[in-house]
Amino acid sequence: MLSTIQPPRYLSRFPLRRRTKCRSLHILSSAEPATKTYLTDQSQILSIRDLLLSRQLSAVELTHSYLDRLKQTEPHIKCFLHVSDPDKVLRQAQEIDDKIKRNEEVGPLAGIPVAIKDNICTADMPSTGGSHILEGYRPPFDATAVKRLKDLGAIVVGKTNLDEFGMGSTTEASAFKVTANPWDLSRVPGGSSGGSAASVSARQCVVSLGSDTGGSVRQPASFCGVVGLKPTYGRVSRFGLMAYASSLDVIGCFGSSVADSGILLHAISGYDSLDATSSKREVPDFTSQFTSASSLQSRPLEGLRVGLIRETVDAGVDSGVKSAIQGAAAHLEQLGCILKEVSLPSFSLGLPAYYILASSESSSNLSRYDGVRYGNQASSDELNALYEESRAKGFGSEVKMRILMGTYALSAGYYDAYYKRAQQVRTIIRKSFKAALDENDILISPAAPSAAYKIGEKKNDPLAMYAGDIMTVNVNLAGLPALVLPCGFVEGGDVGLPVGLQMIGAAFDEEKLLKVGHIFEQTLEGYNFVPPLISNAAFT
Amino acid sequence: MAMGSSRALLILSNFKFKPTVSFSSSSSSSKSFPSFIRNNFRTRNFSAETSSSLQPPDLPRLAETARISLAPNEVEEFAPKIRQVVGWFGQLQAVDLDNVEPAIRADTEGDNLREDVPETFENKEALIASVPSYKEPYIKVPKVLNKE
Repeated sequence: MLSTIQPPRYLSRFPLRRRTKCRSLHILSSAEPATKTYLTDQSQILSIRDLLLSRQLSAVELTHSYLDRLKQTEPHIKCFLHVSDPDKVLRQAQEIDDKIKRNEEVGPLAGIPVAIKDNICTADMPSTGGSHILEGYRPPFDATAVKRLKDLGAIVVGKTNLDEFGMGSTTEASAFKVTANPWDLSRVPGGSSGGSAASVSARQCVVSLGSDTGGSVRQPASFCGVVGLKPTYGRVSRFGLMAYASSLDVIGCFGSSVADSGILLHAISGYDSLDATSSKREVPDFTSQFTSASSLQSRPLEGLRVGLIRETVDAGVDSGVKSAIQGAAAHLEQLGCILKEVSLPSFSLGLPAYYILASSESSSNLSRYDGVRYGNQASSDELNALYEESRAKGFGSEVKMRILMGTYALSAGYYDAYYKRAQQVRTIIRKSFKAALDENDILISPAAPSAAYKIGEKKNDPLAMYAGDIMTVNVNLAGLPALVLPCGFVEGGDVGLPVGLQMIGAAFDEEKLLKVGHIFEQTLEGYNFVPPLISNAAFT
Repeated sequence: MAMGSSRALLILSNFKFKPTVSFSSSSSSSKSFPSFIRNNFRTRNFSAETSSSLQPPDLPRLAETARISLAPNEVEEFAPKIRQVVGWFGQLQAVDLDNVEPAIRADTEGDNLREDVPETFENKEALIASVPSYKEPYIKVPKVLNKE
């Protein structure tokens, strides 16, 4: 079925993965080159910029190539809930071409096709959060992260599928469609940001935004073989992100390389007066320390202390995943890292604590969907019945259950037993991570206990589904940044299924994660993380 | 409130917090359940008075509180799942958390509150356009006050 996909006509002009010799690149302006970098072979964003500014490719051609691939792959993968009007997108591309022609400044993300998870608000475009209750809703504003991307020249190609309001780990809990994994269409892409991960994996866009409350960026990145970056809590404004669990929610980044994820994070980071939890810290240029593979020393990470979290390679983790992680750890050692096992005894408590906090906060946050000010309204002649019916018709099963569990945990007299205890567990977890990160520069673990599983496999067993989040939820409880990048494969599908390595860093030290991740990625040999569906059919 | 239907949901009989949570209520999942989901953190003796003060979920009452009307088939579908998850939440009761301060969030930074000054939102028309029933200048809802 898939072999019928033909290469779009512009694809030959734009390689999926460039391994050319380094070229110089004007970063800031086509008129006035300010900085040069040598990373175009490691970053689609920089490579595209190079091609655009050197007039080897126009933004319109680039946009055509992505829209064509999107059109051909989308019926099989179903990443998007809404695809932008092609005419509008091409007009934006034309404007960029015109500016370049006139030697005017274009933003650092000029012409870059980006996809946005549908729980992140976009002005004048549908933003449903994957829920029937917001079907047809068009927010009157852009989320701050989206606004920043647009201001830098990025082109939004569409809104991606997700588990309703982010509640799920497979994207099957979307009210609208089930997204497939580009590596094996019978498998889930992970979730809840499954559409954003799969769309980058299928090269329907260059980078995408997701959100991560308990692993919703990192686990789908692992399942789809792309890079996923969860920033420190407070690094990125959540204004315009539909709130699920406010003490945990962050907006995160997907890219096909560490460099692209870092560039995307840099674009959306920084203080925003519209989100009181956003940090006023300065945002470093995350890519400034990147070096190209050819100039790396033989042991570029000499002396870096890496702690492998013992509890994450215990029983219950797929043996293929374990060996991929052991292989990744050995690779880090070859790069000069000092590898140690560290134990976080409170690790297993993170999962119930996370689900108590997340359901409780969701029961409060989702009370805003009452069918009165926006969203779908059920007809009724009594106000309470209007609320109850609008919510009954608008929410899916998983959302209803989490609201009910949260309502239970927050009931009078139960708060101390559930919510407060979960918050106390959060204190313990924060402290144990702090101690482990005082002794190690980064911590590593799998991103998920298994690779992508079959669609429908865990749908009716909530605890089995929740158990899959064990590797990621603790990081949200501690508010730390984490980078997931593909490190190997396990058996499954036609050519194997990708496995992601998770690197966890100290608060606000995304820079270190990106530097280590970038070196790891550049030195990892023998793997191709472009799914065969894309690399065979469209790029031969 | 139809107590008859809610009675069926009461799960007092098998609802008991235990230091190590067993999944006896769902034999299908307990078999395949990974070991790391069980808590091996230091635990304390679990006193009877703590558990007896916590009633199991009463689904119809919760649904009313959360303003979600549930169809009978949903009650049937959700009850065992919610019971299973809430039972699993219970493992935290057995953890020794004396003298541990609760953390309301990750607390990496924050509390950067802006000044409390009103601002005009420019795109007012789009805001109003998304209101399901609107009658200038009001958002229309059914009657709020009852005679009783």
